[in-house]
Amino acid sequence: MSKDSTRSMPVPVATAATVAVGVAVTAALDLALLWWAASAIGVAAAFATALWADGRTRGAGDPEGVREKGTTLHRTLVVPTALVLSVVAGMLTGWFLDLSLIEPVAAVLGALVGSFLAHLLYRRLSAMLALSFGAVAAAGVLAIAVTALVLQLSGIPPLATFTRMLEYGTRPDSLVQVVNDGTTYYLAAVAVAIGFKMKLFNIGVDGQYRLAALLAAAVGGYLVLPPVLSQIVVMATAVAVGGAWAGIAGYLKVTRGVSEVISTIMLNSIATGITAYLLSTDRLAVEISTNNIGTPPLEESSWVPGIPAGFLGSDREIFGLVVLAAAVGIAYSVMLNRTRFGFELRATGQSQSAAEASGVDVKKMVFLSMLFSGMAAGLVGMPQLLGASHYYALDFPTGIGFIGIAIALLGRNHPVGIVFAALFWAFLNQAAGILPFDGYPQEIAVIAQATIVLTVVVVYEIVHRWGRRYQQQQIGKELGTAAEPKEPAAVATGTAAEGGTGADGDQTPGDGERGGEAK
Amino acid sequence: MSSTPSGSGASAPPAVELRGITKRFPGVVANHDINITVASGTVHAIVGENGAGKSTLMKTLYGMHRPDEGTIGVKGRQVRLNSPSDAIKHGIGMVHQHFMLADNLTVLENVVLGAERRHGIGNRARARIRELSEQYGLGVDPDRLMEDLGVGDRQRVEILKVLYRGAETIILDEPTAVLVPQEVDELFDNLRELKSEGLTVIFISHKLDEVLSVADEITVIRRGTTVATADPSTTTARELATLMVGGELPVPELRESTVTENTVLSLDGVTITAADGRPVVDGVTLDIHEGEIVGIAGVEGNGQSELIEAIMGMRPLASGRILLGGQDITGWHTLKIREAGVGYIPEDRHRHGMLLDSPLWENRILGHQTKAPSTRGPWIDRAGARADSERIVAEYDVRTPGIDVVADALSGGNQQKFIIGREMSGDPRFLVAAHPTRGVDVGAQAAIWEQLREARAAGLAVLLISADLDELIGMSDTLHVILRGRMVAQADPTDVTPEQLGSAMTGAGLAGDEKTEGGTAAADRSEDGA
Repeated sequence: MSKDSTRSMPVPVATAATVAVGVAVTAALDLALLWWAASAIGVAAAFATALWADGRTRGAGDPEGVREKGTTLHRTLVVPTALVLSVVAGMLTGWFLDLSLIEPVAAVLGALVGSFLAHLLYRRLSAMLALSFGAVAAAGVLAIAVTALVLQLSGIPPLATFTRMLEYGTRPDSLVQVVNDGTTYYLAAVAVAIGFKMKLFNIGVDGQYRLAALLAAAVGGYLVLPPVLSQIVVMATAVAVGGAWAGIAGYLKVTRGVSEVISTIMLNSIATGITAYLLSTDRLAVEISTNNIGTPPLEESSWVPGIPAGFLGSDREIFGLVVLAAAVGIAYSVMLNRTRFGFELRATGQSQSAAEASGVDVKKMVFLSMLFSGMAAGLVGMPQLLGASHYYALDFPTGIGFIGIAIALLGRNHPVGIVFAALFWAFLNQAAGILPFDGYPQEIAVIAQATIVLTVVVVYEIVHRWGRRYQQQQIGKELGTAAEPKEPAAVATGTAAEGGTGADGDQTPGDGERGGEAK
Repeated sequence: MSSTPSGSGASAPPAVELRGITKRFPGVVANHDINITVASGTVHAIVGENGAGKSTLMKTLYGMHRPDEGTIGVKGRQVRLNSPSDAIKHGIGMVHQHFMLADNLTVLENVVLGAERRHGIGNRARARIRELSEQYGLGVDPDRLMEDLGVGDRQRVEILKVLYRGAETIILDEPTAVLVPQEVDELFDNLRELKSEGLTVIFISHKLDEVLSVADEITVIRRGTTVATADPSTTTARELATLMVGGELPVPELRESTVTENTVLSLDGVTITAADGRPVVDGVTLDIHEGEIVGIAGVEGNGQSELIEAIMGMRPLASGRILLGGQDITGWHTLKIREAGVGYIPEDRHRHGMLLDSPLWENRILGHQTKAPSTRGPWIDRAGARADSERIVAEYDVRTPGIDVVADALSGGNQQKFIIGREMSGDPRFLVAAHPTRGVDVGAQAAIWEQLREARAAGLAVLLISADLDELIGMSDTLHVILRGRMVAQADPTDVTPEQLGSAMTGAGLAGDEKTEGGTAAADRSEDGA
């Protein structure tokens, strides 16, 4: 296609041009302006270049996003979203690199990343994805507004408080803490999300990970094994215990029809009872300090070393098992999108009746997804156990399973969405740590978290529905006009609108007919 | 206005007058410059094919949404209808195609539900119901339990509900879709009764012979606008059809027989019991040959759905066997049956045939998740599934901008075409086709019939279940009638009429010289026929 047009340029050239403009503008402006301003303007310039270049590369093996170009939605939503996203990404990268590199280099590298994203997003961002970003942004603004209102009403200056939180939360030591907490939260959220994809509500992640951590710590503490093997055995124990505990709920659901919500809540209580029983000096525990008992500490050879966070400017360490969280995330993503099992899982979650009619063994899927959810849950305690405390004691963190539910909701069960949700959640927790020093209640963070979960869930659902309806109408219009270009538009699209009204479950053969019917 | 008002005088203002109604949904126009005058005391039919905009119009008239342009006049006065209760206040009531009745309540309770303030919920209400029932010849007993009533009775209760709320103009949305021919006649008698009592009926349909027999005046809607008003006494069905679709209506028919001797699927004394032990399918014995379409006629709920689900392995048999190509597949898992070469067009495509929130190409995998080109071992073959979806879209004329749109964004007919394309791929030996053209517009209907014919010529064996008797008669090589789970009659599709089928479906026996089943197929069962 590109050969037909004399003025066209190949895509790689456009990419290079975009990135070059972004970097050059940033480097030049960095001399005169603050680095972040330079970076932002640089990326914006790169975006403009991408816009300009796009006109010349059209048709050269364009991806699906192209089909939507020119529509109102694309102009008003996708392009601005792409712009904002690339600028923000560029600035964040710049800021992050600034922690370990000198300023001009960081700014330029940030601009490089931002410019490349500008090019990529402009070309690839689909309307539905842009809508999702838009929804999350809208929800964020709404949640901040509500929190600000609550603060105002309580007599606390919102703006100053937010600034303080932001400032404290982005300190190097805080960042390390955010990443570490985020790692744990991420694992918990993935465990919950596996269930959610099947429309199963595994409330029992909390009990599963606590029991798994206790038994794994006991195994690691009493069983002295060579390094590497030891860590593997500890983690395998945790996975097995978590899976078995959740498997009970799965088995009950499949064989006796017990709601997994009820059984996992019960199993949480039972897990609490069992851990209290086992964590006694008569049984698994030993005295760790004067008023704390726990499992015998792991040998140092069984620890998972941390990653020095010098590049963030902190002398603390990031959990080595952040790698594990990443691996679990990738495995979750691949399983969900690339395997038959994942397809059957999603199909069952979307429509049990359709899955059944297609030959999916729904009971097996229910049991397996509960099992996998529990196995992932078993890993939740591992970063803490192997990376920090090295024993399971009375002060082992609890309640992460419930946080996981909120984060899975916030991240829309998406492997990448959950990453951001987990980091954000951990950031709010950490940033709120400064509030008591200023004499403000720390619960502000809790209010913000709760508001954000609520607004994201609601706004996302509304935007999603609206987007679906819009898409249906677009299709109706496109097909109606394409099939009958000479007919007046009003007549040609006659059926399409019924798609809009019929979308909410109206299946009457006479009227629920969706848009664009063979005109 | 040229019609023959039988109740009030011709000088009375029209019961309903729609002028220049235009309804837009963002980006599209559903109704465009609609003009209809419904004379008081008449039956006024509105015809148009599926998706022509009839329902949007009726929703406008019933106050479910407001028109963007145009005016609604009721009895000569211009009105604004903001909600269905406004419409009821102006004497307009609507009977939906799907009944809105609670099975576990009595007729009385169903009727007064939501209208308790009119005549209370006790004897006053009961008396009023009796009075209305007598006045309009509906024959409804207020104290019967809804679940004991048949489809025709339920419809009369729906009509009574509307009358009870004081409606003088009744909108009936596709009222005959769920009825057998005999019940249709009864309904039409009721409508004439209503008319003679001075009420006005607006009757929405796409069945032209029915419209011609009952209506005083007919308005044809095509692509969202009124294209003509016809007088039934001087119009033929053919003319109406031409107005409706702007062309000829397709007719379901088979050409020369392609039936062979090779049995593909045989059911041997298949019995299925409900949870309470009552048989819902009772000793069905049936053979389907290569190149044969076997149709099953029956009022919905007589065991057809259960029979299909049993064949697909979704429901256990109480007794009997199912053989596919001589191999006993009784008790096999659905997936194994599908892998053995059985295609399945489910009766409810939204519940059983599609993942509405997933893109089309993922729907290609559904039901075929163990076979190429959808998967390779445990992995999803994205490229293969996508390429094959493109093929289906092209071969089966699925109107979609691409295979990445979610299935829900397509119209029902296009979803159905995609399902048929999917189920036909991988060269199945046997196809279960339940209501293959339900809710599908005329163009898609013709295409689906053509595909079935081609597959049949290529040797496919098909079990066809449909509520459309014309389709059954036209498309079947062999035709059976099912009643309360039993095969009660076998009809010859070349000379049976829908009326004869209808009477057999309701248990009155197959009029004429058709043989009843029992002598040939179901030897173990002696049915007292005709």
